[in-house]
Amino acid sequence: MQIMTVSGFLAYVNETFKAIWDTTEVAIEGEVSGYRLSQGQWASFDLKDAEALVNVFLPVWKLNVPIQDGLRVRVFGCPRVYPKYGKFSFSAERIEIAGEGGLRKALALLHQKLEQEGLFDSARKRPLPRFPERIALIASRESAAYGDFIRILHERWGGLSIDLYHVLVQGEGAPVQIVRAIHEAGRGEYDALVLTRGGGSLEELMSFNDERVVRALFSSKIPTLVGIGHERDITMAEEVADVRGSTPTDCARRLVPDRTELLYALSHLQEGVSETFLAKMVEWTEQCDDVVLKASRWVATLSERITSMIRLFQSFDPRAVVKRGYAIVRDRSGKVRTSIKGMTTKDKLALEMRDGTIAVSVE
Amino acid sequence: MLSPLNNMPSKKLDFGKSFTELEEIAEWFEKGEPDLDKGLEKFERAMELAQVLKERLKQAENKIKEIKLRHE
Repeated sequence: MQIMTVSGFLAYVNETFKAIWDTTEVAIEGEVSGYRLSQGQWASFDLKDAEALVNVFLPVWKLNVPIQDGLRVRVFGCPRVYPKYGKFSFSAERIEIAGEGGLRKALALLHQKLEQEGLFDSARKRPLPRFPERIALIASRESAAYGDFIRILHERWGGLSIDLYHVLVQGEGAPVQIVRAIHEAGRGEYDALVLTRGGGSLEELMSFNDERVVRALFSSKIPTLVGIGHERDITMAEEVADVRGSTPTDCARRLVPDRTELLYALSHLQEGVSETFLAKMVEWTEQCDDVVLKASRWVATLSERITSMIRLFQSFDPRAVVKRGYAIVRDRSGKVRTSIKGMTTKDKLALEMRDGTIAVSVE
Repeated sequence: MLSPLNNMPSKKLDFGKSFTELEEIAEWFEKGEPDLDKGLEKFERAMELAQVLKERLKQAENKIKEIKLRHE
C-alpha cells in the first residue's frame, strides 16, 4: 500500500498528463463560452459541446487570435489540475480558430464589438501636430517598413528626435510587446506615436487586429499614426488610429511636411507680407496726401472769405473817402455834423482831412 | 515687443509657433488695419521670422535612439 499526500497526488496526476499528452498534435475542438480576462494577465473560458464542457485557461501573451463567445476553436495544450483548488482545467498553449473563414468571422465579431463601443468613431480622431519634433516609433528595426519610413522622413524633414521602440510585429508575444511599447511611449513627451510594419497575410497581421493593441492605441494620449504595407484588408489598429497611412512611406509623408514645399510656403508668406505692406504704405501715404489736400483747400476757401471780408470792411472805412478830397466835419463835442442847421457865426468846428485835423470857425 | 529671435539657437526655435505667428502677421496685413507703427513693427517681425524659419529648414539631421522595453 502506498499513501500519498494531496499535493503529491496532484503533482503525480499533472506529470502523468504531461507525459501522455501530445501538446502539438492533439487539439480539443469546441465552442467558446464565458470568455473573460483576469488581472489583464490570464484568459479563461469554457470550451463545450452539446454534452460536456471543460475550463480552458492560458496566459494572455499566448493569446494569438481574437476569442469571442460562440466561436469554434481548437485548443492545443495540456490537461492540468490546479493544486490549490483541485480544479481540473485545460492549460492552453495555442488556440486556432476552427472552420472555413473562422478567423474572418472572429475578426468581424470583434470589429462589431469595438465599433459599438465607439473605438472607431471619426469624431474622436485627433489631428497630428503640423510640425512634430519628438516621435515615438513602434516598429521592427529589421523591417523594410522601418527603413522606408526613416528614409522618407530624412528626405522630407530634419531636426526630428525619433525614439524607436523595437518590437516583434508578428508571431507569439508580438501583441504584448506592442502594447507595452504603446504604454511606455505614453509616459514620454512625444508629439506623435507611429506604429508601422510591412504587409503580410491576414494571419501575419493578427497583432494589428489584436484587441489589446487596438485598445492601447485607443487610450493613447499621444496622437497616433498607424500604417502597414499595401494590403486589401484594413486592420483594426489602422482603423482606431487618429491618422492612417496607407503604407510606411505614406505614414512618413503624413507625419512631416516636405521642406521644399515649406520653403516655398515661407517665401510665399514673406512675399505676401512684403507686398501687402508696400500696398498699405502706398494707401496710407495716399490717405495722408488726401488729408493734406483737403486741409489746404479748406485753408484756401477760408482765406478767400477773409480777404473778401477785409475788402468789405475796407469799403466802409470813411478814411478812404477822405483820401479822395472829402472832409469830416465835427462840432466842439466831436459829433459829426452833416447839416448847417443849428450852426451860427463863430461856431468852432473841426475838419478831419487826409493828413490831419484843422480847427475852423463859421463866418 | 519683439522677442530676441536672432539670438536664439535654432534648436530652441518652436517651428510651429513661429510659423503660426508668421501666418497671423500675413493675415493681419490682409485685414489691413490702418496702423503705420504697428505695421512697421509687424513687417520687421515677419521678415525676421521668415529668415529664422528658412535657416531652420536647412537643418537636415534626424536623431534616432532605440528605447529598450522594460520587462514587466
